[in-house]
Amino acid sequence: MEKNPKLIDMRNILNKKWMLPVILALMTFLTSALLMTSHELTAEKIAAIKLANKLASLKKLIPAQLHDNDLINDVIEIDEPVLLGHRQTESLYIGTKQGIITVMAIPVTAQNGYSGDIDLLVGVLADGQITAVEIINHKETPGLGDLIESNKSDWLMQFTKTSLINPTESQWKVKKDRGYFDQITAATITPRAVVGAIKKALVYHRTFMLSHSPETNE
Amino acid sequence: MNEFIKTRLIDNNAALVQMLGLCPLLAVSNTAINALGMGIATISVVVITNFLVSLIRPITKKEIRIPLFVLLIASVVTTLEMMMNAYFHQLYLVLGIFIPLIVTNCLIMARAEAYASKNAWWLSIKDGFFVGLGFALVMFIIGIMREVIGQGTLFSQAHLLFGDWGSHIEMTLIPNYDGFLIAILPPGAFFALAILVALKNKRDNKKNQAS
Repeated sequence: MEKNPKLIDMRNILNKKWMLPVILALMTFLTSALLMTSHELTAEKIAAIKLANKLASLKKLIPAQLHDNDLINDVIEIDEPVLLGHRQTESLYIGTKQGIITVMAIPVTAQNGYSGDIDLLVGVLADGQITAVEIINHKETPGLGDLIESNKSDWLMQFTKTSLINPTESQWKVKKDRGYFDQITAATITPRAVVGAIKKALVYHRTFMLSHSPETNE
Repeated sequence: MNEFIKTRLIDNNAALVQMLGLCPLLAVSNTAINALGMGIATISVVVITNFLVSLIRPITKKEIRIPLFVLLIASVVTTLEMMMNAYFHQLYLVLGIFIPLIVTNCLIMARAEAYASKNAWWLSIKDGFFVGLGFALVMFIIGIMREVIGQGTLFSQAHLLFGDWGSHIEMTLIPNYDGFLIAILPPGAFFALAILVALKNKRDNKKNQAS
């Protein structure tokens, strides 16, 4: 049996020491190409899914009977790294009825979660009462911190109808910190971060309403 | 049982004997369903990476094999995560959180190094599947132990993995149970694993005495 001389040639070249960096470079190139292609293929779809999820969340935060405007177009782009922990420009959704602000969905980011940022949307009525809270994004521990998600436990439900008056502002902590809100067994850091973020959203709402009240009274 | 399969499932089980991939094993086994989800995700990743590592055997040289595997495994896992997010979004919502954790599983690296880099692709796929299955089984058993002892429930949140059908198998075994926190906390995982390792060693000892 004669071996193909070309194949033996190839083998010899592959075994040369100088081929090692070439192989590595080739592999890096290939894997980067793979990542780029899959990003290209999926980026649009992922963005669309994110938007659809956001719309579905908005419906829960801003009940249909409380607004008669187009929520998606009536947004204010805000960037409040200090007040709301934003890392980039976020959309503040405002529901109005006959031109009067009735309810808004405030984006807030908790930067002090257990692992990475927790992005929330907090729905607040004009009088400062919470309609609902939605978790948009998080990377908390599966089985512990992720119980903040509304489909995994009803922990998030306890915020409905609360405000800065009920409970009082100083009570906006988890019970472990002598506050009003339940924590999650074995996960304290995540609920603490979420409660803090929701409070920030409420404080922002209060300031926002004060600065906008002349307009709404007209 | 076939020797090939038996070695991988029991005799030389990745979790019980080789002690590989303990990070995800201990972290995500607090309920049976979490463990099952992580198990399924792990099996699919090991099968795919084993297959690819086996394919690049001609250019895998001893000196650079580790960086090659790292590059390949990391980019494949990331691609898998993006694809799942875009095309199987329901599944992604359930398993997605486990996928980045899989990269920390040295089981994958170990199979690439010890088996896939030396064997043909069909054998590597088979190896990946059964080693992954052995890992998933141990994880699932630990998940059941911790959930029953810790919360008194079994298969809670199964609807996330199986939809409507899943909500029928969600059970409360012990009603009005106060919970046994240590089983859910990380030490519980070590205790459960230790019990399984002890049982496995007992079986091995018996076998050795008999022969």
